[in-house]
Amino acid sequence: MSEENETPLLGAFGEPSKPLHYLGPMQQIQPPRRRFKETETVDYVIVGVGSAGGVLLQRLARAGFSVIGFDAGPFWDTERDWVSDEAGSHKLYWNDLRITGGQHPLALGENNSGRGVGGGSVHWAAFTPRFHPSDFEVYTRDGVGADWPLDYQDIEPYYELLEQEIPVAGPAYYPWGKPHGYPYAPHPMGGVGDVLIKGCTRLGIGVSAGGPVAILSASRGNRPHCIYRGFCIQACKVGAKASTLITHVPDALEHGAEIRDNSMVSRVSMRPDGRADGVFYFDQQGKEHFQRARAVIVSGYAIETPRLLLNSACPGHEHGLANSSGLLGKFLMAQAGNVILGRFDDLIRLYKAPPAHALTEEFYETDPKRDFARGFAIQTVGPLPIAFARQMMTAKGLWGWGMRRTMMDYNHYASIALLGEILPWEDNTVTLADGHEGRPEARDRFGLPVASVTFNLHDNDKKMIEFGKNKVMEVMWAAGATEVVQESRYAHLVGGARMSRTPDSGVVDKFGRSWDVPNLFVMDGSVMPTQGSANPGLTIQALAARTADYLISHGDAIFTSSRRDLEEPPCRKTLSPPGTFTAGVPHLR
Amino acid sequence: MATKPDAPPPQMPTDPATGRPLPPREQPGYYPGFSTLEQQNYWDAATRKLVLDRVARTLPIRFFTPEEVRTLAAVVNRILPQEDRAPARRIDILGVIDNRLFENRIDGYRYIDMPPDQEAYRIGIRAFEQMARTLFQRSFHELAIIDQERLIESIHDAKPMAAQEDWSKLNIERFWGLLVSDCCGAYYAHPWAWDEIGFGGPAYPRGYMRLEDGEAEPWEVEESRYGWNAPSDTLSDDERLHGSGQQHQTHHGTGGTH
Repeated sequence: MSEENETPLLGAFGEPSKPLHYLGPMQQIQPPRRRFKETETVDYVIVGVGSAGGVLLQRLARAGFSVIGFDAGPFWDTERDWVSDEAGSHKLYWNDLRITGGQHPLALGENNSGRGVGGGSVHWAAFTPRFHPSDFEVYTRDGVGADWPLDYQDIEPYYELLEQEIPVAGPAYYPWGKPHGYPYAPHPMGGVGDVLIKGCTRLGIGVSAGGPVAILSASRGNRPHCIYRGFCIQACKVGAKASTLITHVPDALEHGAEIRDNSMVSRVSMRPDGRADGVFYFDQQGKEHFQRARAVIVSGYAIETPRLLLNSACPGHEHGLANSSGLLGKFLMAQAGNVILGRFDDLIRLYKAPPAHALTEEFYETDPKRDFARGFAIQTVGPLPIAFARQMMTAKGLWGWGMRRTMMDYNHYASIALLGEILPWEDNTVTLADGHEGRPEARDRFGLPVASVTFNLHDNDKKMIEFGKNKVMEVMWAAGATEVVQESRYAHLVGGARMSRTPDSGVVDKFGRSWDVPNLFVMDGSVMPTQGSANPGLTIQALAARTADYLISHGDAIFTSSRRDLEEPPCRKTLSPPGTFTAGVPHLR
Repeated sequence: MATKPDAPPPQMPTDPATGRPLPPREQPGYYPGFSTLEQQNYWDAATRKLVLDRVARTLPIRFFTPEEVRTLAAVVNRILPQEDRAPARRIDILGVIDNRLFENRIDGYRYIDMPPDQEAYRIGIRAFEQMARTLFQRSFHELAIIDQERLIESIHDAKPMAAQEDWSKLNIERFWGLLVSDCCGAYYAHPWAWDEIGFGGPAYPRGYMRLEDGEAEPWEVEESRYGWNAPSDTLSDDERLHGSGQQHQTHHGTGGTH
């Protein structure tokens, strides 16, 4: 090892200087400290500092509320804790036990579940397409699924806001849904993107190249631009890929928020008058504590949010908190994520470039010529060797010499994936593994029943997957592949605490306020009534920013009043993290 | 207990031109001289430590019993055979699985029709051993490679040739997925495997500059292919699997992608 290579570059080579905490190589902060006492009553506790929790924490702190963000996992130091290595990134995922079943059970863990500050946004591939206007009225249009209690116009200003705050890189003109443009330039193409573009173009299918992704194509502030190393879903040490850990949490801490990491919230506490008054949680040593709060926001994502509310059952809420509708934990959704692998005579080297860098939404909307409602997107993915081998195990049934042989051709394969809209079904559920009523029994290290997840595909889903999978394979063949195989899988999780227009048709209202408990909110992917064929991360963040505006508009009334005002709040552009706004974003109205 | 002689050594991959066994290589694969470890000066400190520790470590066996190790080692050697690797350059798989199970590092979920991973391995190992005893009256690790592969293939196909009762205690297809996933997770986490397949390895903070057309970075190596045939009696080469025309679609993938 030469002397000159020992010289730290951006803090990345050497041991980082203590006691500062790295968020990417250029951003250093004081590690978050305890600010509030348990005996103190804070305005808000947020359970889970992920895509939604991070944005809410930042907004509420900036608006002057006292707020604590709880996370079951750690507050990462990106230089010390994250590695440029597939097997070494296991700790980024929710690895505590869950039970998964049903006719088509979901894989959890690394497939979709984050843990630690930043949550899923730490390991997302960072595709950030918006939902289409049609997504908000699926039932009205197609007679399936559900309508949202809000329209595209309600969320659109928040899409525009978050696309700047993140910021999103992509084409200046994006043709699908409501056409719009992106603030940062699209990324250069990698070998997999070229395959998608070539295949689609030969079939007359439009493609978006270089985005939309929450990855910097040019540096901004203390975040460097992308270095195309391909380890996006192993967490971005570079700091080019956005996570709320680096985009919103630092600003939240700056404005007085506290993050209480390694703290597992076990129960929302209720007062006899029907209002929540705080949360019980376990610290890392397994000791139970209670934190008082004037309001509680649950942002634990589609599995842990229903689990926490079910585990919070108490007199008056025997079937779980905020569950008078009986719909808590129901209508869980995952998207179909079949990966299609094509072998090419030429080298691809699919490990380079962000896995997410080109897509098409040409098949997103319902097409009366097809025999199913709604549709799908086609996106690039970039499995690293271990993931690729596991895909080949399924796609080609490989083991032994065949596995070794195909893996030696790793660099000859390209991988593109379906992202298909599975509809919300009442029998796709999160329940407690509490051993009651025929349910399995399993508990975590704190003695809490773990989540039991049941998932079934229905007729429309199966038809969509069959059609979509074949379409992606067609694209792969058209690009010149000499062999095309596919692996069935799911991507993402949403639903389980859906928002609704009426108390009997969902768990929360359109701002995430629970129908049953006036100072209890749910804000994360679990509130989504349908999911479209768009990766959910951007929409989760946009919904969170909108709910923050709602809470801020109502001020202290949230803590005392039960009056439910469903007016849209004004979209505040003054609450963004510093340095967010630049000129030149094409707004197409 | 009288020990029976071990099975004959496995056959080697052969040169398709001459049909002769290919000698073991320091580095199989089509990227001669490529070494990710040689790039370690360009890695960040945390990654360098992790990967160097992975290469240097010898993992003690703490979960499996010696009997279980004998059986599972034989199974693992067929799931990812390494006879083409020089003995000093073989990658430890069994130790990694043992370590995971001992430390109870699970993937965050368990299928409702599966026991915990630890129990699944114990059941699976016992069942492999029972199949060998029933059909060949010998221990699994003593069987000829072809016989070991026959038994393994029957599990791959979820049609066990024997020991039905043992296998009925779990979902065989999920067990197969667990086993092969673990083997691949150990093997393809090793920098020697990265060299074999031409994967660039850790790339922070340097990154990649040549993203298209499969172009190599200046420090990467161009592909240089050679022909090799798997041992003639193996059941696990992919050409044969292709011939079956069967795709294994029963189960969904488990890794993260989007």
